[in-house]
Amino acid sequence: MSGIAYELALANLSRSDGMAPPAVDKTPLLHRYHPDYQEGTRTRLTIGANRGDECPTRLATLLQSNAQITDADLAGAPVINTEVLVIGGGGAGSAAALTAAEQGRRVILATKLRLGDSNTVMAEGGIQAAVGEDDSLQRHFEDTLRAGHLCADRTLVARLAESGPDCIRWLINRGMLFDLAEGTPVGGKLLRKKPGGATCARILSYHDYTGLELMRVLREAVELDDRIALWNRCPLVELLSDESGQCVGAVLYNLDWHGFILVRASRVILATGGAGRLHLNDFPTSNHYGATADGLVLAYRMGARLRELDSFQYHPTGLAWPSHLVGGLISEAARSAGAWLINGEGNRFVDELQPRDVVAAAILKECAEGRGVERDGNLGVFLDTPGLERRHPGILGERLVSLGHLAHRCGIDPTTEPMMVRPTLHYQNGGVEIDEHGATAIPGLYCAGEITGGIHGRNRMMGNALLEIIAFGRRAGQHAGATASPKPAPKVGLYHLYDWQRQIILSGLPAEVCGPCLFPDYGNFDLRRDLVLRASAPGAVQAMVAGMTPS
Amino acid sequence: MSFNPVLLSSATQVGANLEAWFAQGGGQGLRQALAAPQAIIPLLQEAGLRGMGGAGFPTHHKWARTAAQPAHLDKYAVCNGNEDEPGTFKDRVLLEKSPHQVIEGALIAATAIGANHVLLYVNPHQPESVASLRQAVQQWQTEPLLQELAALQDRPIDLRVVTSSGLYIGGEETAVIATIDGGFPFPHRKPPYPAECGVDNKPTLINNTETLAHVPHILRHGARWYQDLGIGSAVGTKLYSLSGDVLRPGLYELPMGTSLRKLIFEYGGGMLQNRPFKAVFTGGPSNTLLTEQHLDVALDFDSVRALGSSLGTGAMIVISEGTSIVRKVAEYVDFFAAGSCGQCPPCKTGTYQLARLLRRIDTGGGLHSDLRALESLCELLPGSGRCGLIDGAVTVVRSSLMQFKEDYQQQLID
Repeated sequence: MSGIAYELALANLSRSDGMAPPAVDKTPLLHRYHPDYQEGTRTRLTIGANRGDECPTRLATLLQSNAQITDADLAGAPVINTEVLVIGGGGAGSAAALTAAEQGRRVILATKLRLGDSNTVMAEGGIQAAVGEDDSLQRHFEDTLRAGHLCADRTLVARLAESGPDCIRWLINRGMLFDLAEGTPVGGKLLRKKPGGATCARILSYHDYTGLELMRVLREAVELDDRIALWNRCPLVELLSDESGQCVGAVLYNLDWHGFILVRASRVILATGGAGRLHLNDFPTSNHYGATADGLVLAYRMGARLRELDSFQYHPTGLAWPSHLVGGLISEAARSAGAWLINGEGNRFVDELQPRDVVAAAILKECAEGRGVERDGNLGVFLDTPGLERRHPGILGERLVSLGHLAHRCGIDPTTEPMMVRPTLHYQNGGVEIDEHGATAIPGLYCAGEITGGIHGRNRMMGNALLEIIAFGRRAGQHAGATASPKPAPKVGLYHLYDWQRQIILSGLPAEVCGPCLFPDYGNFDLRRDLVLRASAPGAVQAMVAGMTPS
Repeated sequence: MSFNPVLLSSATQVGANLEAWFAQGGGQGLRQALAAPQAIIPLLQEAGLRGMGGAGFPTHHKWARTAAQPAHLDKYAVCNGNEDEPGTFKDRVLLEKSPHQVIEGALIAATAIGANHVLLYVNPHQPESVASLRQAVQQWQTEPLLQELAALQDRPIDLRVVTSSGLYIGGEETAVIATIDGGFPFPHRKPPYPAECGVDNKPTLINNTETLAHVPHILRHGARWYQDLGIGSAVGTKLYSLSGDVLRPGLYELPMGTSLRKLIFEYGGGMLQNRPFKAVFTGGPSNTLLTEQHLDVALDFDSVRALGSSLGTGAMIVISEGTSIVRKVAEYVDFFAAGSCGQCPPCKTGTYQLARLLRRIDTGGGLHSDLRALESLCELLPGSGRCGLIDGAVTVVRSSLMQFKEDYQQQLID
């Protein structure tokens, strides 16, 4: 694919007349250009609980992969006991850990990178909660269900909507700041904005970095809670099972001393997020470095059922230039403020306020048909920020602060030069099936956050992701905390793996493909190679382990 | 691979349906037994049937001994279906899928020894087996063959299901008696042997489920037929519970004397992921491990015993390279420590100490002194309990230390 050279496209842009875009027929557009619908990009699963379902090929390969470790790798690995083990250092994991600890449980929160290295901090728009006097839980419920093409699980959506106001109160009590409506005194009303697809203003926010503010308070709370032992740089490599197939803990890999640790836990909560860094269909992603679907792969291997696994959200306005920032996200706020999308010929081609999937497909269509803009080998379309500034002087400086920062990192002045955008892999709509307590079908195993499915159906509304991680993180923490037992399971092992490996071989799948991948391919991380660096000094590991147990 | 199974043949898998059992030839064995009760024990002796629960003791010995007790006494015939050992899963299949096969065997035993109590002792942790067996027993209560047995003895026959405590130790012969008597499953020392003084201090015959399941077939088809089923000098068939790192684990009924290699590589589909074979825990985890050099051993009682191990229940837990021996042993010793009834102090504390030391080595905290302690416990403990539990635990530790000492040493931190 090639496009119109950047300089020529710039010249076309300057002559742009800003004529209203043509109306598009959504269904054929989506079927032809949206990645979810493309032929030949999906694979049918042949083993596991979702046998017969389709999902993107790269994800299918991982879901049906073999374990990274064998039983012998665990020989000599230290074992640590806890009541609740939370995997994932984003918003959902933190909320779950805090709630479980509030019930007096000993909690370990393990995260692959560091606490807060997550997609939570990148959420710019805000968090939904029906707190306005003109709003209601019923409306929130209906809006969410409708936006998800009526595919969502109604019980889960009901729990999501009704948890909203309480979640906001919980966050405020922990010190989170929200923008207040203008003209109200301190302690006044929260500022509400209207998300796309909603019948009412329901987005609560803090500037355009709500997620960062949310994570700030959760991080402080987690680090200050001495019932929670925080393990940074300890990715999940495998879940532990007992003979009955119950989840009784996890195998973690400590990246600092290059060795495995076994955690025996009565309850395990997976909050490992989505799959953006698998770069499904070769798309760039807005996701953080750790989003490699580890939890999804391991839960599936243990027998959990997944849903809507072929449904992903591609955000229309990811950066398309410069190369090193490709995939980075420009908030929807730019388009809702009135910025236009312009192709290489200088024309608008889609109503910018259409749902994300439609706008994304329209951009891909322009690029595929040669009307994209090409710069340094990157293809995209213009997000016409200079035009926006001309129509609304001062708006970039006042309302779109993060966009200004991003443009600065791109080395351009957004008031005079347009940004280049193209769709970026943004969110995994489906995931592990859970009940209203976040429990999966596997006893002892819970999931919360982006890893789960059923809340957003086949399309997620803006602001529901932040609400979900708090609402279901707390629910999972609550239920796991209430049902955890202080007595560790007597028998822990990799019992579920044997049957899994038999299925792999008997169905002719390659047994040498291992998962989860832990880091993206370009991370150049190889578990086997890393293991060689294992700390060998006598007692060193023991000493380190001693400092890691929750009090 | 053209072998036709007997106990697991599809014809016998009729569940608790007595009519279906009779329709495929069931009941004939019992009818023959009732016609000539004196001929039963000599027939078993000729056939060479042995106890399938672990010991491999000739069945007719036990039967003859119980039969020799005064006929006016109450006598008990007990089918032992407590099965709770790691890696063994044969009895539950028999009890669930073909309970009448087992019940008929037990009734033939009652005929031979003159028992008026026939008790089916099952593990309550296998609810499917219990349900199937209860349903099957219900159908026998109105069966004329049972009346014939009562007429033969001139007293009513008490046929019923008894649930065990579900504890491992409850499968030990004397613990079975203690449980049926209403107590905690404490084993006691022998003698007195159950044949003289068992349940309610009456003569009692206790046989494993699989042993009894063979009996109706032997009566029906004769001793010669049974002998010819085996390979070489071995007789009959055996249920092998194959598990561990093989491609197709499961329950296999094969001629007694089938080689270990054939079981693993032909029936079991070979090693999982083609990993190299490392060892096999035979007959459950309480025996000496067999290693690669033993792959061609014929799996019958005598050949396996000649290697210093035991066929036991026929459980084969296969271990490949990539599975930690220390971890497996630690797991099994944990099982024994949890299963010790606590009567005998050396067993109670010995299994606990073995488990503790193994755990420490397995979880990366072991010292050379721990290994030495393990070795000396293996010298001290054998024979110190009333039953064989402590001996089983020691055997598996000692055998793994002998054959895989490097695996232990690699994990020590000093």
